[in-house]
Amino acid sequence: MIRELYRTITSLTAMNGFIPLWRRPIALIAVISTPFSFLFFIYLFGGPSKILIGAIGGVLFTIVNASTMLQTDLLFYKLDLKFQQVVASTPINPLAYMFGLATGNIVFTLPGLAIFMAIIVYESHIGTLQILSVIGTLATTWVIFSMFSFLVSTRVREMRDIWPISVMFSIIFGVVPPIYYSISALPGPVQYVAYVVPTTWAAILLKGIVIQDFAGVALPALVFVIEMLCVLAFTSRFSDWRLNRS
Amino acid sequence: MPVPLESKSLKKIYRNKGRSTTAINDFTFSVKEKGVFSLLGRNGSGKTTFVKVSTTQLTPDDGYVRVFGKDVVEDEKELRHMISLVPQESRPFPHMTPYEHVYYFQKMNGKAREESKERAESVIGLLGMHDFARTECVNLSGGQKQLTMVAMALSLDTQIYFLDEPTIGLDIITRKGVWNAINKYRDAGKTILLTTHYLDEAAFLSDEIGIVSHGNFIKQGTLDELRSGLEYDTRVAMRGRVDHRAFEPYGKVHSDERGTVLFTSQEYVEKILSDSSVRKERIEIGPIGLDDVFISLVGEDIEVDEN
Ligand SMILES: Nc1ncnc2c1ncn2[C@@H]1O[C@H](COP(=O)(O)OP(=O)(O)OP(=O)(O)O)[C@@H](O)[C@H]1O
Ligand SMILES: [Mg+2]
Repeated sequence: MIRELYRTITSLTAMNGFIPLWRRPIALIAVISTPFSFLFFIYLFGGPSKILIGAIGGVLFTIVNASTMLQTDLLFYKLDLKFQQVVASTPINPLAYMFGLATGNIVFTLPGLAIFMAIIVYESHIGTLQILSVIGTLATTWVIFSMFSFLVSTRVREMRDIWPISVMFSIIFGVVPPIYYSISALPGPVQYVAYVVPTTWAAILLKGIVIQDFAGVALPALVFVIEMLCVLAFTSRFSDWRLNRS
Repeated sequence: MPVPLESKSLKKIYRNKGRSTTAINDFTFSVKEKGVFSLLGRNGSGKTTFVKVSTTQLTPDDGYVRVFGKDVVEDEKELRHMISLVPQESRPFPHMTPYEHVYYFQKMNGKAREESKERAESVIGLLGMHDFARTECVNLSGGQKQLTMVAMALSLDTQIYFLDEPTIGLDIITRKGVWNAINKYRDAGKTILLTTHYLDEAAFLSDEIGIVSHGNFIKQGTLDELRSGLEYDTRVAMRGRVDHRAFEPYGKVHSDERGTVLFTSQEYVEKILSDSSVRKERIEIGPIGLDDVFISLVGEDIEVDEN
Protein backbone atom coordinates (compact mmCIF):
# COMPACT_ATOMS: atom_id res chain seq x y z
CA MET A 1 0.00 0.00 0.00
CA ILE A 2 2.67 2.47 1.07
CA ARG A 3 4.94 1.25 -1.68
CA GLU A 4 2.22 1.73 -4.31
CA LEU A 5 1.52 5.21 -3.00
CA TYR A 6 5.20 6.01 -3.21
CA ARG A 7 5.28 4.84 -6.82
CA THR A 8 2.23 6.90 -7.69
CA ILE A 9 3.70 10.04 -6.22
CA THR A 10 7.21 9.64 -7.60
CA SER A 11 6.02 8.91 -11.13
CA LEU A 12 3.86 12.03 -11.12
CA THR A 13 6.78 13.98 -9.69
CA ALA A 14 8.88 12.83 -12.60
CA MET A 15 6.17 13.73 -15.10
CA ASN A 16 5.57 17.19 -13.74
CA GLY A 17 9.05 17.93 -12.41
CA PHE A 18 12.22 16.12 -13.32
CA ILE A 19 11.38 15.27 -16.92
CA PRO A 20 10.22 18.76 -18.02
CA LEU A 21 13.01 20.37 -16.02
CA TRP A 22 15.57 18.12 -17.67
CA ARG A 23 14.22 18.89 -21.12
CA ARG A 24 13.32 22.57 -20.57
CA PRO A 25 15.73 23.92 -17.97
CA ILE A 26 14.86 27.42 -19.15
CA ALA A 27 11.65 27.19 -17.09
CA LEU A 28 13.84 27.61 -14.02
CA ILE A 29 14.49 31.22 -14.90
CA ALA A 30 10.81 32.10 -14.74
CA VAL A 31 10.34 30.49 -11.35
CA ILE A 32 13.40 32.02 -9.73
CA SER A 33 13.49 35.47 -11.24
CA THR A 34 10.49 37.07 -9.49
CA PRO A 35 11.52 36.44 -5.88
CA PHE A 36 15.09 37.43 -6.70
CA SER A 37 13.93 40.69 -8.11
CA PHE A 38 12.13 41.34 -4.79
CA LEU A 39 15.36 40.60 -2.96
CA PHE A 40 17.20 42.93 -5.28
CA PHE A 41 14.85 45.86 -4.68
CA ILE A 42 14.83 45.31 -0.96
CA TYR A 43 18.58 45.33 -0.90
CA LEU A 44 18.62 48.41 -3.11
CA PHE A 45 16.25 50.45 -0.94
CA GLY A 46 16.78 48.94 2.49
CA GLY A 47 20.48 48.21 2.39
CA PRO A 48 22.32 45.13 3.62
CA SER A 49 20.38 45.06 6.91
CA LYS A 50 17.24 44.14 5.01
CA ILE A 51 18.73 41.23 3.16
CA LEU A 52 17.52 38.68 5.72
CA ILE A 53 13.93 39.82 5.50
CA GLY A 54 14.28 39.89 1.73
CA ALA A 55 15.42 36.27 1.71
CA ILE A 56 12.60 35.20 4.03
CA GLY A 57 10.17 36.91 1.70
CA GLY A 58 11.83 35.33 -1.30
CA VAL A 59 11.63 31.80 0.02
CA LEU A 60 8.00 32.24 1.00
CA PHE A 61 6.98 33.88 -2.22
CA THR A 62 8.67 31.15 -4.23
CA ILE A 63 6.64 28.45 -2.50
CA VAL A 64 3.35 30.35 -2.54
CA ASN A 65 3.70 31.37 -6.14
CA ALA A 66 4.74 27.94 -7.41
CA SER A 67 1.93 26.21 -5.51
CA THR A 68 -0.60 28.71 -6.82
CA MET A 69 0.63 28.30 -10.37
CA LEU A 70 0.04 24.58 -9.93
CA GLN A 71 -3.56 25.44 -10.76
CA THR A 72 -2.55 26.04 -14.34
CA ASP A 73 -0.79 22.68 -14.64
CA LEU A 74 -3.68 20.85 -13.06
CA LEU A 75 -6.15 22.51 -15.38
CA PHE A 76 -4.02 21.82 -18.42
CA TYR A 77 -3.83 18.13 -17.55
CA LYS A 78 -7.51 18.03 -16.82
CA LEU A 79 -9.02 20.04 -19.68
CA ASP A 80 -6.51 20.05 -22.51
CA LEU A 81 -4.83 16.68 -22.19
CA LYS A 82 -7.77 14.95 -20.45
CA PHE A 83 -5.14 13.08 -18.50
CA GLN A 84 -7.09 13.56 -15.30
CA GLN A 85 -9.89 11.48 -16.81
CA VAL A 86 -7.45 8.68 -17.51
CA VAL A 87 -6.21 8.76 -13.92
CA ALA A 88 -9.64 9.24 -12.38
CA SER A 89 -10.82 5.99 -13.92
CA THR A 90 -8.05 4.06 -12.17
CA PRO A 91 -7.79 3.34 -8.43
CA ILE A 92 -5.23 6.15 -8.03
CA ASN A 93 -6.05 8.35 -5.06
CA PRO A 94 -6.86 11.98 -5.99
CA LEU A 95 -4.72 13.40 -3.21
CA ALA A 96 -1.79 11.22 -4.28
CA TYR A 97 -2.27 12.56 -7.79
CA MET A 98 -2.28 16.11 -6.46
CA PHE A 99 0.77 15.61 -4.23
CA GLY A 100 2.69 13.88 -6.98
CA LEU A 101 2.16 16.80 -9.34
CA ALA A 102 2.74 19.34 -6.55
CA THR A 103 6.05 17.71 -5.70
CA GLY A 104 7.03 17.82 -9.34
CA ASN A 105 6.13 21.46 -9.36
CA ILE A 106 8.35 22.22 -6.38
CA VAL A 107 11.32 20.60 -8.11
CA PHE A 108 11.61 23.71 -10.26
CA THR A 109 11.93 25.91 -7.21
CA LEU A 110 14.65 23.91 -5.46
CA PRO A 111 17.64 25.84 -6.79
CA GLY A 112 16.04 29.15 -5.78
CA LEU A 113 15.01 27.83 -2.39
CA ALA A 114 18.53 26.58 -1.76
CA ILE A 115 20.03 29.99 -2.43
CA PHE A 116 17.50 31.78 -0.21
CA MET A 117 18.02 29.26 2.56
CA ALA A 118 21.77 29.74 2.35
CA ILE A 119 21.31 33.51 2.70
CA ILE A 120 18.94 33.05 5.65
CA VAL A 121 21.29 30.69 7.47
CA TYR A 122 24.31 32.83 6.75
CA GLU A 123 22.67 36.09 7.80
CA SER A 124 20.91 34.83 10.92
CA HIS A 125 23.31 32.15 12.16
CA ILE A 126 20.39 29.89 13.06
CA GLY A 127 20.97 26.31 14.25
CA THR A 128 19.65 22.96 13.11
CA LEU A 129 16.43 23.15 15.08
CA GLN A 130 15.49 26.50 13.56
CA ILE A 131 16.48 25.35 10.11
CA LEU A 132 14.17 22.39 10.52
CA SER A 133 11.41 24.68 11.79
CA VAL A 134 11.84 26.91 8.76
CA ILE A 135 11.64 23.91 6.47
CA GLY A 136 8.59 22.64 8.35
CA THR A 137 6.86 25.99 7.96
CA LEU A 138 7.64 26.09 4.26
CA ALA A 139 6.43 22.52 3.79
CA THR A 140 3.15 23.36 5.52
CA THR A 141 2.78 26.41 3.31
CA TRP A 142 3.32 24.23 0.28
CA VAL A 143 0.71 21.71 1.44
CA ILE A 144 -1.87 24.44 2.09
CA PHE A 145 -1.49 26.18 -1.25
CA SER A 146 -1.13 23.03 -3.31
CA MET A 147 -4.34 21.67 -1.86
CA PHE A 148 -6.06 24.92 -2.45
CA SER A 149 -4.90 24.84 -6.06
CA PHE A 150 -6.28 21.35 -6.43
CA LEU A 151 -9.61 22.50 -5.05
CA VAL A 152 -9.70 25.39 -7.51
CA SER A 153 -8.68 23.21 -10.45
CA THR A 154 -11.50 20.75 -9.87
CA ARG A 155 -13.98 23.61 -9.96
CA VAL A 156 -12.89 25.51 -13.03
CA ARG A 157 -14.44 24.45 -16.32
CA GLU A 158 -12.47 26.38 -18.88
CA MET A 159 -8.79 26.82 -19.47
CA ARG A 160 -9.06 30.53 -20.17
CA ASP A 161 -10.68 31.13 -16.76
CA ILE A 162 -7.62 29.93 -14.92
CA TRP A 163 -5.21 32.70 -15.98
CA PRO A 164 -6.99 35.55 -14.20
CA ILE A 165 -7.88 33.30 -11.28
CA SER A 166 -4.34 32.12 -10.67
CA VAL A 167 -2.89 35.61 -11.04
CA MET A 168 -5.47 36.94 -8.57
CA PHE A 169 -4.64 34.24 -6.03
CA SER A 170 -0.97 34.75 -6.56
CA ILE A 171 -1.38 38.41 -5.57
CA ILE A 172 -3.68 37.74 -2.63
CA PHE A 173 -1.47 34.97 -1.31
CA GLY A 174 1.95 36.13 -2.35
CA VAL A 175 1.96 39.92 -2.45
CA VAL A 176 -0.68 41.25 -0.05
CA PRO A 177 0.47 39.39 3.09
CA PRO A 178 2.92 41.34 5.21
CA ILE A 179 6.10 39.53 4.40
CA TYR A 180 8.33 42.53 3.85
CA TYR A 181 6.59 44.89 6.19
CA SER A 182 4.51 44.86 9.35
CA ILE A 183 0.82 44.06 9.12
CA SER A 184 -0.06 47.42 10.71
CA ALA A 185 1.30 49.15 7.62
CA LEU A 186 -1.62 47.84 5.60
CA PRO A 187 -4.82 49.87 5.19
CA GLY A 188 -7.58 48.79 7.62
CA PRO A 189 -9.75 46.45 5.57
CA VAL A 190 -6.76 44.83 3.87
CA GLN A 191 -5.46 43.93 7.32
CA TYR A 192 -8.44 41.65 7.83
CA VAL A 193 -7.76 39.92 4.54
CA ALA A 194 -4.14 39.59 5.52
CA TYR A 195 -5.06 37.94 8.81
CA VAL A 196 -6.99 35.22 6.99
CA VAL A 197 -4.35 34.45 4.40
CA PRO A 198 -2.04 31.65 5.57
CA THR A 199 0.98 33.40 4.09
CA THR A 200 0.72 36.03 6.81
CA TRP A 201 1.05 33.41 9.51
CA ALA A 202 3.84 31.72 7.65
CA ALA A 203 5.67 35.06 7.46
CA ILE A 204 5.14 35.80 11.15
CA LEU A 205 6.31 32.30 12.00
CA LEU A 206 9.40 32.47 9.84
CA LYS A 207 10.41 35.83 11.23
CA GLY A 208 9.86 34.53 14.77
CA ILE A 209 11.94 31.45 14.15
CA VAL A 210 14.76 33.36 12.56
CA ILE A 211 15.00 36.01 15.27
CA GLN A 212 14.62 33.20 17.80
CA ASP A 213 11.51 34.58 19.44
CA PHE A 214 10.10 31.23 20.49
CA ALA A 215 7.37 32.55 22.75
CA GLY A 216 6.15 34.69 19.87
CA VAL A 217 5.72 31.79 17.44
CA ALA A 218 3.36 29.65 19.52
CA LEU A 219 0.16 31.42 18.48
CA PRO A 220 1.00 31.83 14.79
CA ALA A 221 2.09 28.18 14.68
CA LEU A 222 -1.25 27.13 16.10
CA VAL A 223 -3.24 29.30 13.71
CA PHE A 224 -1.16 28.04 10.83
CA VAL A 225 -1.72 24.38 11.62
CA ILE A 226 -5.44 24.98 12.10
CA GLU A 227 -5.53 26.66 8.71
CA MET A 228 -3.85 23.68 7.13
CA LEU A 229 -6.38 21.33 8.68
CA CYS A 230 -9.22 23.54 7.45
CA VAL A 231 -7.88 23.57 3.92
CA LEU A 232 -7.46 19.80 4.06
CA ALA A 233 -11.02 19.30 5.26
CA PHE A 234 -12.34 21.81 2.77
CA THR A 235 -10.48 20.22 -0.12
CA SER A 236 -11.63 16.72 0.66
CA ARG A 237 -15.18 17.94 1.06
CA PHE A 238 -15.50 20.27 -1.91
CA SER A 239 -13.05 19.20 -4.53
CA ASP A 240 -14.58 17.13 -7.26
CA TRP A 241 -11.88 15.79 -9.46
CA ARG A 242 -14.21 13.80 -11.61
CA LEU A 243 -16.48 15.64 -13.99
CA ASN A 244 -19.75 15.81 -12.14
CA ARG A 245 -19.77 19.48 -11.52
CA SER A 246 -17.27 20.63 -14.04
CA MET B 1 -21.80 -14.62 -13.88
CA PRO B 2 -22.68 -10.95 -14.36
CA VAL B 3 -22.65 -9.60 -17.90
CA PRO B 4 -19.77 -7.35 -19.00
CA LEU B 5 -21.88 -4.23 -19.32
CA GLU B 6 -25.44 -3.39 -18.51
CA SER B 7 -27.23 -0.06 -18.79
CA LYS B 8 -30.79 0.38 -17.62
CA SER B 9 -32.92 3.48 -18.22
CA LEU B 10 -29.78 5.57 -18.03
CA LYS B 11 -30.32 9.31 -18.11
CA LYS B 12 -27.72 12.03 -18.01
CA ILE B 13 -28.38 15.74 -18.11
CA TYR B 14 -25.62 18.35 -18.26
CA ARG B 15 -26.37 21.48 -16.31
CA ASN B 16 -24.28 24.49 -17.16
CA LYS B 17 -24.97 28.04 -16.08
CA GLY B 18 -28.71 27.52 -15.98
CA ARG B 19 -28.89 25.62 -19.26
CA SER B 20 -29.53 21.95 -19.28
CA THR B 21 -28.82 19.48 -22.07
CA THR B 22 -30.12 15.95 -22.00
CA ALA B 23 -27.15 14.05 -23.35
CA ILE B 24 -28.60 10.65 -22.56
CA ASN B 25 -32.33 10.24 -22.42
CA ASP B 26 -32.63 6.47 -22.20
CA PHE B 27 -29.87 3.96 -22.72
CA THR B 28 -31.15 0.49 -22.02
CA PHE B 29 -29.03 -2.35 -23.33
CA SER B 30 -26.57 -4.95 -22.26
CA VAL B 31 -23.40 -6.46 -23.58
CA LYS B 32 -23.96 -10.11 -22.75
CA GLU B 33 -20.74 -11.66 -23.97
CA LYS B 34 -17.14 -10.62 -23.63
CA GLY B 35 -15.64 -9.26 -26.82
CA VAL B 36 -15.84 -6.07 -28.84
CA PHE B 37 -18.97 -3.98 -28.60
CA SER B 38 -19.12 -0.88 -30.78
CA LEU B 39 -21.31 2.04 -29.94
CA LEU B 40 -22.28 3.95 -33.07
CA GLY B 41 -24.20 7.14 -33.38
CA ARG B 42 -24.05 10.55 -34.92
CA ASN B 43 -22.18 13.45 -33.32
CA GLY B 44 -23.77 14.48 -30.08
CA SER B 45 -25.80 11.32 -29.68
CA GLY B 46 -24.42 10.58 -26.21
CA LYS B 47 -21.58 8.08 -26.76
CA THR B 48 -18.88 9.98 -24.90
CA THR B 49 -21.28 10.78 -22.11
CA PHE B 50 -21.99 7.08 -21.79
CA VAL B 51 -18.27 6.33 -21.63
CA LYS B 52 -17.85 8.97 -18.94
CA VAL B 53 -20.66 7.53 -16.87
CA SER B 54 -19.32 4.00 -17.30
CA THR B 55 -15.83 5.00 -16.21
CA THR B 56 -17.09 6.74 -13.05
CA GLN B 57 -16.42 10.26 -14.31
CA LEU B 58 -20.05 11.32 -14.30
CA THR B 59 -22.90 10.07 -12.17
CA PRO B 60 -26.23 9.13 -13.77
CA ASP B 61 -29.27 11.31 -13.21
CA ASP B 62 -31.44 8.24 -13.43
CA GLY B 63 -31.05 4.53 -14.10
CA TYR B 64 -27.78 2.68 -13.73
CA VAL B 65 -24.77 1.26 -15.46
CA ARG B 66 -23.11 -1.91 -14.22
CA VAL B 67 -19.82 -3.29 -15.38
CA PHE B 68 -19.43 -6.98 -14.58
CA GLY B 69 -22.15 -6.50 -12.01
CA LYS B 70 -20.49 -3.52 -10.34
CA ASP B 71 -22.53 -0.36 -10.17
CA VAL B 72 -20.74 2.75 -11.43
CA VAL B 73 -21.86 4.71 -8.39
CA GLU B 74 -22.12 2.25 -5.53
CA ASP B 75 -19.11 0.12 -6.40
CA GLU B 76 -16.98 2.83 -8.00
CA LYS B 77 -13.85 1.93 -6.02
CA GLU B 78 -13.87 -1.72 -7.05
CA LEU B 79 -14.88 -0.81 -10.55
CA ARG B 80 -11.80 1.31 -11.11
CA HIS B 81 -9.66 -1.80 -10.80
CA MET B 82 -11.54 -3.31 -13.72
CA ILE B 83 -11.66 -0.52 -16.28
CA SER B 84 -9.31 1.34 -18.53
CA LEU B 85 -9.99 4.39 -20.66
CA VAL B 86 -8.95 6.32 -23.74
CA PRO B 87 -10.92 9.57 -23.46
CA GLN B 88 -12.08 11.22 -26.66
CA GLU B 89 -9.64 13.89 -27.83
CA SER B 90 -7.10 13.18 -25.14
CA ARG B 91 -3.47 14.09 -25.71
CA PRO B 92 -0.14 13.03 -24.23
CA PHE B 93 2.22 15.25 -22.23
CA PRO B 94 4.21 17.31 -24.73
CA HIS B 95 7.60 16.91 -23.05
CA MET B 96 7.45 13.14 -22.56
CA THR B 97 8.03 10.26 -24.93
CA PRO B 98 5.43 7.57 -25.65
CA TYR B 99 7.60 5.04 -23.83
CA GLU B 100 7.73 7.26 -20.75
CA HIS B 101 3.98 7.64 -20.84
CA VAL B 102 3.40 3.93 -20.59
CA TYR B 103 6.24 3.35 -18.14
CA TYR B 104 5.19 6.06 -15.69
CA PHE B 105 1.53 5.23 -16.06
CA GLN B 106 2.38 1.70 -14.94
CA LYS B 107 4.38 2.98 -11.99
CA MET B 108 1.63 5.40 -11.13
CA ASN B 109 -0.63 2.40 -10.87
CA GLY B 110 1.69 0.82 -8.35
CA LYS B 111 3.80 -1.42 -10.56
CA ALA B 112 7.48 -1.99 -9.84
CA ARG B 113 10.16 -0.67 -12.15
CA GLU B 114 10.92 -3.94 -13.92
CA GLU B 115 7.30 -4.77 -14.52
CA SER B 116 6.60 -1.26 -15.75
CA LYS B 117 9.45 -1.52 -18.23
CA GLU B 118 8.25 -4.87 -19.50
CA ARG B 119 4.68 -3.66 -19.93
CA ALA B 120 5.86 -0.55 -21.72
CA GLU B 121 8.07 -2.51 -24.10
CA SER B 122 5.38 -5.03 -24.87
CA VAL B 123 2.63 -2.48 -25.56
CA ILE B 124 4.97 -0.40 -27.71
CA GLY B 125 5.77 -3.53 -29.67
CA LEU B 126 2.14 -4.57 -29.92
CA LEU B 127 1.16 -1.23 -31.44
CA GLY B 128 4.23 -0.99 -33.65
CA MET B 129 5.45 2.20 -32.02
CA HIS B 130 9.17 1.42 -31.87
CA ASP B 131 10.18 4.05 -34.40
CA PHE B 132 8.96 6.94 -32.34
CA ALA B 133 8.66 5.51 -28.83
CA ARG B 134 11.56 7.60 -27.60
CA THR B 135 10.72 10.88 -29.26
CA GLU B 136 9.14 13.67 -27.23
CA CYS B 137 5.45 13.86 -28.02
CA VAL B 138 5.70 17.52 -28.94
CA ASN B 139 7.58 16.34 -32.02
CA LEU B 140 5.14 13.60 -32.97
CA SER B 141 2.33 13.59 -35.48
CA GLY B 142 -1.31 13.67 -34.43
CA GLY B 143 -1.73 9.97 -35.06
CA GLN B 144 1.39 9.06 -33.13
CA LYS B 145 0.12 11.03 -30.16
CA GLN B 146 -3.24 9.32 -30.40
CA LEU B 147 -1.49 5.96 -30.41
CA THR B 148 0.32 6.97 -27.23
CA MET B 149 -3.02 7.38 -25.47
CA VAL B 150 -4.14 3.97 -26.72
CA ALA B 151 -0.87 2.46 -25.52
CA MET B 152 -1.41 3.80 -22.00
CA ALA B 153 -4.90 2.37 -21.80
CA LEU B 154 -3.91 -1.00 -23.21
CA SER B 155 -0.98 -1.24 -20.82
CA LEU B 156 -3.36 -1.74 -17.91
CA ASP B 157 -4.43 -5.27 -17.26
CA THR B 158 -8.14 -4.71 -16.75
CA GLN B 159 -11.27 -6.59 -17.74
CA ILE B 160 -12.87 -3.94 -19.89
CA TYR B 161 -11.41 -1.19 -22.06
CA PHE B 162 -13.40 1.90 -22.95
CA LEU B 163 -11.94 3.29 -26.15
CA ASP B 164 -13.62 6.52 -27.22
CA GLU B 165 -12.68 7.07 -30.86
CA PRO B 166 -9.25 5.50 -30.38
CA THR B 167 -8.38 5.40 -34.07
CA ILE B 168 -9.31 8.95 -34.97
CA GLY B 169 -6.68 10.47 -37.22
CA LEU B 170 -4.77 7.24 -37.77
CA ASP B 171 -3.81 6.17 -41.27
CA ILE B 172 -5.27 2.91 -42.49
CA ILE B 173 -2.16 0.85 -41.78
CA THR B 174 -1.79 2.20 -38.26
CA ARG B 175 -5.51 1.66 -37.70
CA LYS B 176 -5.12 -1.94 -38.71
CA GLY B 177 -2.33 -2.20 -36.15
CA VAL B 178 -4.76 -1.01 -33.48
CA TRP B 179 -7.41 -3.43 -34.75
CA ASN B 180 -4.86 -6.18 -34.39
CA ALA B 181 -4.19 -5.18 -30.81
CA ILE B 182 -7.89 -4.99 -30.03
CA ASN B 183 -8.39 -8.43 -31.53
CA LYS B 184 -5.60 -9.83 -29.39
CA TYR B 185 -7.21 -8.42 -26.27
CA ARG B 186 -10.53 -9.86 -27.31
CA ASP B 187 -8.97 -13.27 -27.85
CA ALA B 188 -7.44 -13.01 -24.41
CA GLY B 189 -10.94 -12.76 -22.95
CA LYS B 190 -11.16 -8.99 -22.55
CA THR B 191 -14.14 -6.80 -23.30
CA ILE B 192 -13.75 -3.66 -25.37
CA LEU B 193 -16.32 -0.92 -25.66
CA LEU B 194 -15.46 1.03 -28.74
CA THR B 195 -16.90 4.17 -30.19
CA THR B 196 -15.98 5.08 -33.72
CA HIS B 197 -17.22 6.90 -36.77
CA TYR B 198 -15.35 4.52 -39.07
CA LEU B 199 -18.02 2.03 -39.92
CA ASP B 200 -15.63 -0.35 -41.68
CA GLU B 201 -13.77 -0.53 -38.40
CA ALA B 202 -16.91 -1.31 -36.44
CA ALA B 203 -17.96 -3.90 -38.99
CA PHE B 204 -14.57 -5.55 -38.93
CA LEU B 205 -13.99 -5.59 -35.18
CA SER B 206 -17.33 -5.88 -33.49
CA ASP B 207 -18.89 -8.95 -32.04
CA GLU B 208 -21.91 -6.79 -31.50
CA ILE B 209 -22.94 -3.26 -32.43
CA GLY B 210 -25.17 -0.83 -30.60
CA ILE B 211 -26.74 2.15 -32.30
CA VAL B 212 -27.69 5.30 -30.45
CA SER B 213 -29.50 8.39 -31.61
CA HIS B 214 -30.35 11.64 -29.83
CA GLY B 215 -29.63 10.20 -26.41
CA ASN B 216 -31.58 7.00 -26.97
CA PHE B 217 -30.27 3.52 -27.44
CA ILE B 218 -32.16 2.29 -30.46
CA LYS B 219 -30.85 -1.05 -31.58
CA GLN B 220 -28.23 -3.69 -30.99
CA GLY B 221 -27.09 -6.86 -32.68
CA THR B 222 -24.42 -8.51 -34.75
CA LEU B 223 -23.85 -7.01 -38.16
CA ASP B 224 -25.98 -9.76 -39.71
CA GLU B 225 -28.78 -9.21 -37.25
CA LEU B 226 -28.77 -5.49 -37.93
CA ARG B 227 -28.79 -6.11 -41.65
CA SER B 228 -31.64 -8.57 -41.45
CA GLY B 229 -33.67 -6.00 -39.60
CA LEU B 230 -33.82 -3.96 -42.80
CA GLU B 231 -36.31 -4.47 -45.56
CA TYR B 232 -33.57 -5.06 -48.14
CA ASP B 233 -30.46 -7.17 -48.13
CA THR B 234 -28.69 -6.17 -51.30
CA ARG B 235 -27.10 -3.03 -52.53
CA VAL B 236 -26.73 -2.33 -56.23
CA ALA B 237 -24.56 0.62 -57.07
CA MET B 238 -24.58 1.97 -60.59
CA ARG B 239 -22.22 4.53 -61.95
CA GLY B 240 -23.14 6.94 -64.69
CA ARG B 241 -26.49 8.06 -65.97
CA VAL B 242 -29.33 5.80 -65.04
CA ASP B 243 -33.02 6.00 -65.61
CA HIS B 244 -33.89 5.37 -62.07
CA ARG B 245 -37.60 4.90 -62.56
CA ALA B 246 -36.74 1.59 -64.20
CA PHE B 247 -35.51 0.31 -60.85
CA GLU B 248 -38.28 1.52 -58.63
CA PRO B 249 -40.23 -1.73 -58.77
CA TYR B 250 -37.28 -3.58 -57.21
CA GLY B 251 -36.82 -1.54 -54.09
CA LYS B 252 -35.62 1.80 -52.87
CA VAL B 253 -33.66 3.95 -55.29
CA HIS B 254 -31.40 6.79 -54.35
CA SER B 255 -29.69 8.95 -56.95
CA ASP B 256 -27.21 11.75 -56.83
CA GLU B 257 -24.61 13.19 -59.16
CA ARG B 258 -22.23 10.30 -58.53
CA GLY B 259 -24.68 7.65 -59.54
CA THR B 260 -27.56 5.60 -58.29
CA VAL B 261 -27.91 3.17 -55.45
CA LEU B 262 -30.69 0.64 -55.34
CA PHE B 263 -31.56 -1.22 -52.17
CA THR B 264 -33.26 -4.43 -53.08
CA SER B 265 -33.45 -8.13 -52.31
CA GLN B 266 -31.20 -10.86 -53.50
CA GLU B 267 -34.02 -12.47 -55.51
CA TYR B 268 -34.23 -9.55 -57.93
CA VAL B 269 -30.58 -9.38 -58.75
CA GLU B 270 -30.69 -11.52 -61.87
CA LYS B 271 -33.66 -9.69 -63.19
CA ILE B 272 -32.00 -6.36 -62.63
CA LEU B 273 -28.90 -7.51 -64.43
CA SER B 274 -30.80 -8.85 -67.42
CA ASP B 275 -33.18 -5.91 -67.66
CA SER B 276 -30.64 -3.36 -67.02
CA SER B 277 -29.97 -0.59 -69.42
CA VAL B 278 -26.75 0.00 -67.57
CA ARG B 279 -23.50 -1.59 -68.68
CA LYS B 280 -22.47 -4.51 -66.48
CA GLU B 281 -19.05 -3.17 -65.67
CA ARG B 282 -20.69 -0.13 -64.19
CA ILE B 283 -22.71 -2.12 -61.71
CA GLU B 284 -21.51 -3.22 -58.32
CA ILE B 285 -23.60 -5.64 -56.32
CA GLY B 286 -23.10 -6.62 -52.73
CA PRO B 287 -24.80 -7.17 -49.42
CA ILE B 288 -25.88 -3.97 -47.74
CA GLY B 289 -23.20 -2.62 -45.47
CA LEU B 290 -23.12 -1.17 -42.02
CA ASP B 291 -23.26 2.28 -43.60
CA ASP B 292 -26.65 1.49 -45.06
CA VAL B 293 -27.89 0.10 -41.78
CA PHE B 294 -26.59 3.12 -39.94
CA ILE B 295 -28.11 5.61 -42.33
CA SER B 296 -31.44 3.86 -42.36
CA LEU B 297 -31.55 3.77 -38.55
CA VAL B 298 -30.31 7.20 -37.63
CA GLY B 299 -30.06 9.25 -40.75
CA GLU B 300 -32.97 9.15 -43.18
CA ASP B 301 -32.56 12.39 -45.06
CA ILE B 302 -29.07 13.45 -44.24
CA GLU B 303 -26.20 14.08 -46.54
CA VAL B 304 -23.43 11.69 -45.66
CA ASP B 305 -19.91 12.80 -46.16
CA GLU B 306 -17.70 10.48 -48.18
CA ASN B 307 -15.04 10.49 -45.46
N1 LIG C 1 -19.77 19.20 -20.74
C1 LIG C 1 -20.94 19.35 -21.39
N2 LIG C 1 -21.81 20.31 -21.03
C2 LIG C 1 -22.98 20.46 -21.66
N3 LIG C 1 -23.40 19.70 -22.67
C3 LIG C 1 -22.60 18.71 -23.09
C4 LIG C 1 -21.32 18.48 -22.47
N4 LIG C 1 -20.74 17.44 -23.09
C5 LIG C 1 -21.60 17.04 -24.03
N5 LIG C 1 -22.72 17.78 -24.05
C6 LIG C 1 -23.89 17.61 -24.92
O1 LIG C 1 -24.38 16.30 -24.72
C7 LIG C 1 -24.73 15.70 -25.93
C8 LIG C 1 -24.01 14.39 -26.10
O2 LIG C 1 -22.63 14.62 -26.20
P1 LIG C 1 -21.57 13.46 -26.33
O3 LIG C 1 -20.23 14.07 -26.19
O4 LIG C 1 -21.92 12.36 -25.39
O5 LIG C 1 -21.80 12.96 -27.84
P2 LIG C 1 -21.02 11.90 -28.73
O6 LIG C 1 -22.01 10.88 -29.14
O7 LIG C 1 -19.83 11.41 -28.03
O8 LIG C 1 -20.63 12.77 -29.99
P3 LIG C 1 -19.31 12.72 -30.93
O9 LIG C 1 -19.53 11.60 -31.89
O10 LIG C 1 -19.33 14.02 -31.62
O11 LIG C 1 -18.14 12.52 -30.05
C9 LIG C 1 -24.44 16.72 -27.01
O12 LIG C 1 -25.66 17.34 -27.34
C10 LIG C 1 -23.51 17.70 -26.38
O13 LIG C 1 -23.73 18.98 -26.87
MG1 LIG D 1 -17.85 11.52 -28.40
